[in-house]
Formats: sequence, C-alpha cells, structure tokens
Amino acid sequence: MGDYIVIIMGSIFINNIILAQYLGACPFVGTSKKMETATGMAGAVVFVLTLAGVITWVINTYFLVQLNIEFLRTIAFIMVIASLVQFVEMFLKKSIPALYAGLGIFLPLITTNCAVMGVTLLNVQDELSFVAAVITSIAYALGFGLALILFAGLRERIDLGRVPGPLKETSIGLVTAGMLAMAFMGFRGMV
Amino acid sequence: MAKTISQEFKKGLWEEIPPFRLVLGLCPVLAVTTTLENGVGMGLATTFVLVCANLLVSILRNVIPPKIRVPCFIIIIATFVILVELLMQAFAYGLFLNLGIFIPLIVVNCVVLGRAEAFASKNKIVPSLADGLGIGIGFTLSLGVLGALRESLGSGTILGNPVFGPNFQPFEFMVQAPGAFVALGLLLCIMNILGKK
Amino acid sequence: MLATIMFTLGLGGTCGIVLSAASKIFYVYEDPRIAQVEGFLAGANCGGCGFPGCSGAAEAVVSGKASPSVCMLVGPDNVAAIAAITGGEAGTAEALKSYNECIGGNRASDRYTYFGVNRCSAVASMYGGRRDCTIGCLGYGDCVRACKFDAIEMGPEGYPVINFEKCVGCGACQTVCPKTIIEVTPMSIRLTHLNTESDPLAPCRQTCPAEIDIPRYIDHIRKGEYEAAVNTIRERNPLLLTCGRVCPHPCEEMCRRAIEDDPVSINQLKRFVADIEMNSGKRYPIPCNPDTGKRIAVVGGGPAGLTVAYFLRRLGHHPTIYESMPKLGGMLRYGIPEYRLPKKVLDWEIDGILNLGIDHHVNAEMGFDFDLASLVGAGYDAVFFGVGAWNDYNLNIPGEELDGCLTGINFLAKMGKGEKVDIGKRAAVVGGGNTAIDCARTLVRMGLEKVYLVYRRTRKEMPANEVEIVAADHEGIEFVFLAAPSKVIGDENGRVKGLEYLKMELGEPDASGRRRPVPVEGSETVLEIDTIISAIGQNPDLSFKKEGTRLDDLEITRWNTFEVNPETCQTNVPYIFAAGDSQTGPATVVEAIGGARRSARAMDQFLRGKPVVGVPGALLASKKIKESIFERVKGIKQSERTQMPELPVKERIKTFEEVDLVISEKDAEKESNRCLNCCRLCYDPDITFDDKKKSAA
Repeated sequence: MGDYIVIIMGSIFINNIILAQYLGACPFVGTSKKMETATGMAGAVVFVLTLAGVITWVINTYFLVQLNIEFLRTIAFIMVIASLVQFVEMFLKKSIPALYAGLGIFLPLITTNCAVMGVTLLNVQDELSFVAAVITSIAYALGFGLALILFAGLRERIDLGRVPGPLKETSIGLVTAGMLAMAFMGFRGMV
Repeated sequence: MAKTISQEFKKGLWEEIPPFRLVLGLCPVLAVTTTLENGVGMGLATTFVLVCANLLVSILRNVIPPKIRVPCFIIIIATFVILVELLMQAFAYGLFLNLGIFIPLIVVNCVVLGRAEAFASKNKIVPSLADGLGIGIGFTLSLGVLGALRESLGSGTILGNPVFGPNFQPFEFMVQAPGAFVALGLLLCIMNILGKK
Repeated sequence: MLATIMFTLGLGGTCGIVLSAASKIFYVYEDPRIAQVEGFLAGANCGGCGFPGCSGAAEAVVSGKASPSVCMLVGPDNVAAIAAITGGEAGTAEALKSYNECIGGNRASDRYTYFGVNRCSAVASMYGGRRDCTIGCLGYGDCVRACKFDAIEMGPEGYPVINFEKCVGCGACQTVCPKTIIEVTPMSIRLTHLNTESDPLAPCRQTCPAEIDIPRYIDHIRKGEYEAAVNTIRERNPLLLTCGRVCPHPCEEMCRRAIEDDPVSINQLKRFVADIEMNSGKRYPIPCNPDTGKRIAVVGGGPAGLTVAYFLRRLGHHPTIYESMPKLGGMLRYGIPEYRLPKKVLDWEIDGILNLGIDHHVNAEMGFDFDLASLVGAGYDAVFFGVGAWNDYNLNIPGEELDGCLTGINFLAKMGKGEKVDIGKRAAVVGGGNTAIDCARTLVRMGLEKVYLVYRRTRKEMPANEVEIVAADHEGIEFVFLAAPSKVIGDENGRVKGLEYLKMELGEPDASGRRRPVPVEGSETVLEIDTIISAIGQNPDLSFKKEGTRLDDLEITRWNTFEVNPETCQTNVPYIFAAGDSQTGPATVVEAIGGARRSARAMDQFLRGKPVVGVPGALLASKKIKESIFERVKGIKQSERTQMPELPVKERIKTFEEVDLVISEKDAEKESNRCLNCCRLCYDPDITFDDKKKSAA
C-alpha cells in the first residue's frame, strides 16, 4: 500500500510528466490559453491515460512479449491508442452526451499526445505490475492535469499584463512554464 | 505556390523553422537538448523519419483514401520510427540510451505528421523530399542551437570539451527541466525580434 | 517473421472492424460543414491552435469562434477553402464581415489617465473605461492586435477602422472586444438578436418595436450605400416599403435631435431607400440559411404572418401561409386605404417575401376550410397564429341594425376588395383612431358631400396619428368632438336618416389619465346623414376556437387575444405561437413585425429542439437604457427637418392616388446628415460640437 502512495506522490509532484519529464508539452502550451479548455483537457487526459494504461499493458504482456515481437511496440501502441480514443469519442458522443460535452471534444487531441504514448512506454520500460501500471498512469495523468490547470491560471493573468512585443504569447508562456517547473523542483525532497 | 525546389528546402531553415515558427514538437526539443550531441542526434533521427515519411506519403498520396489518411500516415511514420530505433540500437547505442523513450515518441511528433498531412499528401515526390529535408535540417539546427546553449551554460562544455576554462561554475539550472522551458522561451523571443522586419 | 505479419494484420484488422462498427452504432448527426472543414485541417491533433484537436477546431471555425487560419500547419490554399465553407452560409453569397458599431468621431473627454495595463479587456474589467462615454469603443485596440489579417487599424478618430478587402470574417476581433462594439456574427444570430440593455443602442433604436438598427441604416444612406441600408432594415423588418409609408414612427419621438430642433425624419429615409430598391427594378438578394426541413403553418397572411414566414424562411425553415382573404396582406391590404399604401407597392413587397420560397394558400379560412387538427395531420412542426383583429366593436345603440350602418374594418375591407358599397351623400364616422380616420378619408375620396368624424372626447385625446388628423382636417372632414352617439334614426324604408348624439363635457380623469367625458343632459342633436361607420375599436375574431376541437387547451385572455409569454410569443400549447394584433389587440404594423420576429426567434429555438427562452435583459421597446437618454445636446447647428412632399389637397381628394411622396436623393443625404449618431459616436453633452471640432483640428 505504501508503495502505491509513493508512486502516486512521485508521479504527480516529483516526476511531473510535463514539468520534469517533458512529455505532453504541445498540448500543455496549446490548450492552456484558457482555463476552460485546460480543465477539459485535463479531464480527458485522465480518462484516456487510464484506459490506455490498462489496454497497452495487456497487449504488451500477452501479445508482444509472448510472441517475442517487442520491436513492434511503437506501432502497436499508437494503433491501439488511436483506435481507443476514436472509439471512446464515438461512444461518449452517443451514450453519455453530457460527459462528451465536457471531455469528448478533447479526445482526438490526445491521439498524438506524447504524454499518453510516453507513459505507456515508461510503464513497459519500468516493467511494472498491472496494478502499479494502472496507478502510475492515473497519477501521471493527474500530474498533467494539475500542471496544465496551474499554467492556464498563470497565462490568463499574464494576458492582462503588458508583455514586451517579442516575448508575447508562447515565448512568455514557456518562460512562465520554466518558473512553474522550478517550483515543482521543490517537491524533490519529499519522498 | 510555384516555389522552386530550393525554396521548398530553404523555407524549413528559416521561414517555417520548427519549433520556433511552428510551435510544434516541443517534447523532444525540451527533453533531449541537454547536450549538443543529443540534440543533433535527435534532430537527425527526426529528419530521417521526416524525409522517409514524406517520400512514402507523397508516393502513395493518390492511393490513400482521404477518410482514413491520418491513421495511414501514422502507420507509415511508425514504421520508419521503428526502423530508426533498430538502426540506432545497432550503430549508436550510446545515443540510443541517452534519448530513451523519445525515439519511439517521434511517432507522435506533430511536426512529422503535420508535414505529411500539410505538404507531402498534396505535392509531388521531389518537392516533398525537399520539404522534409528542409524542415528536418531546420529542426536539427534548432535542437543543436538549444543543445549547445544548454550544454555550454549548464555543464560548461560543448561536445564534452570544456569551453569556459576550469574556473567556470556550471549553471546547472540550464540542464534541468526549468532551464529547458526558459531557454526555449527566450530563444523564441530572440527569433521574434530577428523575424521582425 | 510470420508472427510479426500476423500480429500487425490482426491488430490493424481488429481496430478497423471495431471502429467501423462503432461509427455505425454510435452515429450522431453533426453539422456537415464541420467534417468539411476538418478535411482541410492538418489532422495532426497537435493542439497548437488552442482548441481540443482538429475536430474541436473545425467546430470552432464553423461556429465562428475561430478563424479559418486557426491551424498553423495548413497553407493559404486550405485557409481559403475553409473560409469558403464557413464564410458564406451555404446557398448564399453573403460573406461575413466585421462591422464596427462605434464610429468614434468627436471623442468624449477623458476622465482620468491611467498608467497601468492599457488594454481594452483590462480597462473594461477594472474601471469601465477612461472616457466619459461608457457606451462606445474604448479605443485601446485589442481588436487591432487580435486581427491576424491586418484588416483593422486604429483610425485617426481613435476608433478601429476595418479594411473590408482584408477582413475574412474570422471573428477574432469580436471575441476580444469587451463591449459589443465590433461584430462579426452569422446571419442567423443577427436575424434573431433581441436588443438588450448591454447593447450600444441609440434612443430611436431602443424605441423601435421592430428593433431596427436605425443609426446604421441612416449612416449607409449618408454614404450612398443604399443596398446596405436596405439589408440593414431587412434584418429586422421585411415590410420596409409598407412601414416607410404607414409607420407612426415612435422612434422619431425619442430622437435626441428634437432637443435642439426637429427630430430626424427617420421614416422618410426608410421609405426613400425602400423606394430606391423598388424603382431600380431589381431586387437586392436576400440570403437564406441552409434548409432544415422543418415545416410551419402560418395562419394569417397579414404583417405578422408575412414577417414570421420571412424570418423562418431566412433561418432555413419552410413556412406555409394560410390566408382567408383572396390575397395576402391582411390589414395592410384590407385595412389601409390605397391612398396611404398603394396595392401595387404592397404586391411588390409581398412578392419579394414569397420569392424566398414561401408557399401560400389564399381563400383558406381557419375553422372552415381547415383547422388545427388538419394542420397537425399534415405534419407541420409548429403553428403560428397571426389572425389579426378583425372584429369591430358595436356602438350598442338603438337602430344600429338599420340599412346604412357599417363598421370600420368591414367597410375598409370591402373597399380593399374593390366591392361596391352604397353610401349615399353624407356620412358620419364614429371613433377617433386610425381606422376611423382611414374611413373618413376614404369617404372623402368617394366624392361625398359631407363627412363627419364623431368623437366623444377632444382632439387632444384622439389616439390616431397626428399627421393623419392633420391630413383629414386639410381634406375637409368635419370633426364633431365631445359627442356620444345615442340613437340611429331611420326612415320608413329602414334606411339610415340621421344620427342622434349627446354632447359631452370633460370631467375627472379616469384610470387612463384622460379626462372622462360626461354627457350633458338634454343636449341631443341630430346629424343628417345617409351612412354611419362605427370604428371604435376591434378585437380578434377567434370564432374558430370551438368547443371539442384541438384548440380547447389554448388559453385566451379576457380581451379575446392569445395568451402568450411576451418574450417568446409562445402560447401554453408549446408548438403554437402567436403575435400581431391577435395577440396584442389592435396595434401598429411595426409592433406586429417586432412581435413576429420575437416569435420567429422562439420558433427557431423550438424547431431546433432547444429550450424556448427569452433573452435576459431584453428590452421590449418599453424599457430604456437610462444613460443613453441624455437630455442636453449643445452646439448643434440648427437645420430644418426635410418636409415630406405630398399631393396638393385639391388633387388628392378626388382620387385614391398615394398622398405622401418620396423625398429626393439630395434631401435624403441632407436629412441623413442631421442624424447625431447617438451611441455610435462618443460625445460629451457638456461640450459643444464646434469646440470639439476645433480642438481636434
């Protein structure tokens, strides 16, 4: 049990997927212009990452390893994730429109989100057990959401300020992300 | 739109140089640019995938059904990524270890997919090649510059050779995550100043 | 080797099969344009645009939230292709363009200077703007920065100027504007927008029951852009030829120009542009949205019915009009005499509306030729009632059944149909409203020796339009004020011979604030006449609402009008809507148009399966935005209101020729320049215009 708490805290704060692992930087910059978009994206990532964590673990353990074709991992994972996202999107649209309105529109964005692909690859690399893999996936996703929402809040405030011309938009955004990353470095001593 | 081949090539070096002009493919840019060597290595791997994917997509552009074109592109790219992965494992094992999971992640690099979709799927083979090569070299250059900057400031070396003399205190911030964001942000700012006419 | 191939094929196949099955099972309808636009986006789902994925971006582009150039990966060709999909609404040539509500000009003075964040968004949220004028443009140029196409720049007057050549209608400027100054809105939103307290509305615009953007069309006229002026009016009012002639123009009463000299002749200008279109021989194109396949039965082809059909058609629905009379037009045709609204003009106007693709059936009477059950059976998705108020009140005096006693609307309708009416040589019209005056002026033109107008109060209390009363006076109608008819006197053949009335005097004010007329004992007087027309008011004829039919549940007010929610014009039966005289009681054409547009907006919501709701803060023509009704306008150079040309009295009483004539182009330009551009122009009531011009120069 204690191990899992360490995994959770470590994945959310210390090894934060964006701010320490550099994964998912494109959507991090892209969808953080507005708080509303950021929260939707965060929710969608949690949702997909959990599912992807489960399904890629199964594929890896029962197919790739068994058949001794681990080198196909990249292509297998991307196909599975892309199809999964697409399927979930269609399913939500029809069956749970309320949830779709909140999260669904962010789903396609996740297909090419390196956070999802990256976490599933990390899980395999670290040879985690099924439960640990799922918990790690969720924790990473929560960390992504946390960083994204914090960052969106910062950017909304920056928008009101007078930013020197060349630094505008993405440039100042990245510098701000750097500050945020520095703040997260403070968690290092925690575990 | 009648650009010459050399124009198609050159635009990737300045006009549309990723990740500055097109703010895309940030993850590898941030992650692997701790040293010049890593940056250039990653850039070259990406260039290889870009050129090959552009070539194949351009050849197959009239065969691929438009509705499922994106999945098709992804599979084409994934194939070349696996190829790169295997090649690096065989011939540049050190670099392969350094870059880690960012090699398979080339598959989700928006720059690659973006070029396949926006350019190669609509243009003939030679311009597509030029486009892929140009954008790839531009990407490599960017990674190289960022890698050189971070390596020199963060560890005081370039390609492992000390540059600032023995008394230099390495500015470790630069090789860590926050430094990656700040350095990229400031480079982007410089590009904005230079780009202004 | 074999395992590799088998695995890849298996995985690909499984994914393909699952997804194609899912796409069939979980199919949900969405705007086809979204898919079209998505086809032109990169499909990389990179999130660089700030939207959740390419389909999210496509949706945003289609709904106008993002510009066609939102994707940084696609080239100019695709941007143009996307703009072509979204820019012109399908089937129309109308491209979205940014429109600036505020035209700056003489700027209001600054209240204070602030050295903090000088952005419109920041200023608006922090302290409401530095200028005295809190309605208009803030002038910090957020829109200029937001425009990706360099189409907006700060003009010399301190407000943004749009370059229409470059504008692609992306809406970025509108998104950043903290006020509703700069607008890029799709047609459906413009057609259904209801004026609200937060809009920069000039006083005239707040007063107009049809909510026409008056300062804007006057501005177009000033610049000679007549087609744009007509299109601006048509966004709110499809009956501009008619309203330009018969509207009592309540807007002019609120005109701020009147504080210094005379109000701008707003209605004359409307008539001027409307006539320009008609006389040009070609119709300006009216764009309509893509078909929705929804069908609506519009019962009644009068102003309300025509308006609701017009708006529903432009919103993409399919209305069918049912009219009981032989021709469309309702009160416009059968209640307003030829000399005020020539039938030729009305026909041209109605044809223009029907040309949009509206079906109609005439000589089809509700409750007789068809009823609600048959409409429901015919598969209509909603029903609109605009049946008007055609039931004249009776005088309730003895002798009213005699030969020669007519009622107002009945008489006018017969005239409108061209039937012959036997009226003798002398006639009296009872009543003081517009119908009474219309009857009297019609009688004059029929060559009668003497026409009396009998009203029980004084001229001051007459509800008819002032211009109408004046015209009637000029045409020789004799007013008999303070007279209450008490008996109709007949001859031995049962024909009217005279009208006996009691003289009245004004007593204490009654509930309506008007002094109540009290009869004077023993003051009976007799007018020698052959015809009496009573025009003392009407109410709707809802006799089709019989017991035991589908209309049983429909609620009717005690004034025999439809009971509706005033914001949506929806009755208690959700698919039935009503507006016009049959909902408000007898009122003006422009009120019927306003109600019908509100109704069309609500019906559009209903037909699209959205909740039918009003707009919070909507101004229903009676409320006013306080700070916009300023009371001092100094420094205006006095200039005379353009007088309306009219036929000389001698000529006009002989024929039914149109009395009021149209003003000349020169006069129209002059008159449009008299408009103060309230709420489009920042100015300071305390400083004179001349001073401002000098200091600016």
